Amino acid sequence: MISIVTELIALAAFTSAAVFGTAGIIGLYRFPDPYARMQASSLCGTTAVFSVFLGSLALAPSWAVATRLVVLMAFFLVSGPTGGHIVARFAWNSGIDPWRPVSPVIRPARRRFGGGKVERAKDSPLPPESGID
Amino acid sequence: MRQILLDGMQWFLVACAVGAVIRILAGPSAADRLVALNVLSGIVLAFLAIRGVMEGQAIYLDVALVYDIFGFLGLLAIARFLKEKAMGAGEDE
Repeated sequence: MISIVTELIALAAFTSAAVFGTAGIIGLYRFPDPYARMQASSLCGTTAVFSVFLGSLALAPSWAVATRLVVLMAFFLVSGPTGGHIVARFAWNSGIDPWRPVSPVIRPARRRFGGGKVERAKDSPLPPESGID
Repeated sequence: MRQILLDGMQWFLVACAVGAVIRILAGPSAADRLVALNVLSGIVLAFLAIRGVMEGQAIYLDVALVYDIFGFLGLLAIARFLKEKAMGAGEDE
């Protein structure tokens, strides 16, 4: 009786992991720039992996495995979003423009590492020291 | 039932890892590759947890914890290294 309940919990968690993991991998291919891809991959990396941990916790055969899974979940909750933040800061600092649907005239400023020097496009109508960023 | 669930999840994670590796190889910029590397780190972590539960061996989960720590530090080190490389290229110009 107990095993049926735990298997149903694991089935629900694994189904959620499959749905979110598929969505994350599809988003990793279909989105246009690294920021949007990082949104999709954070979905995959946090929700899907955490669902796998929850399902594994329901199916854990012994207390030794279960306690290690809990420690792993606690550490993953810290390290996953922090890693995403590091990647996002790297992408922003390396001067990658965020994708925008239609940008015929206004181009975003590019920023580089070190110093707050801002380069505008030559045909940009914005004044040099103000604007989007 | 239990074995079917764990086996299915294991092969699903293998498929996701293949997708992330293709993105690492094909990514046009370094930021794309770092994003895919972050995903791959999480997928391998989940794979190790699944293997540990399937075999009933707690040693897989110890390996998974250490892998998570070193994957995080490795991501930090790669981002720092690429940043210094980009700054050096900017100073040369």
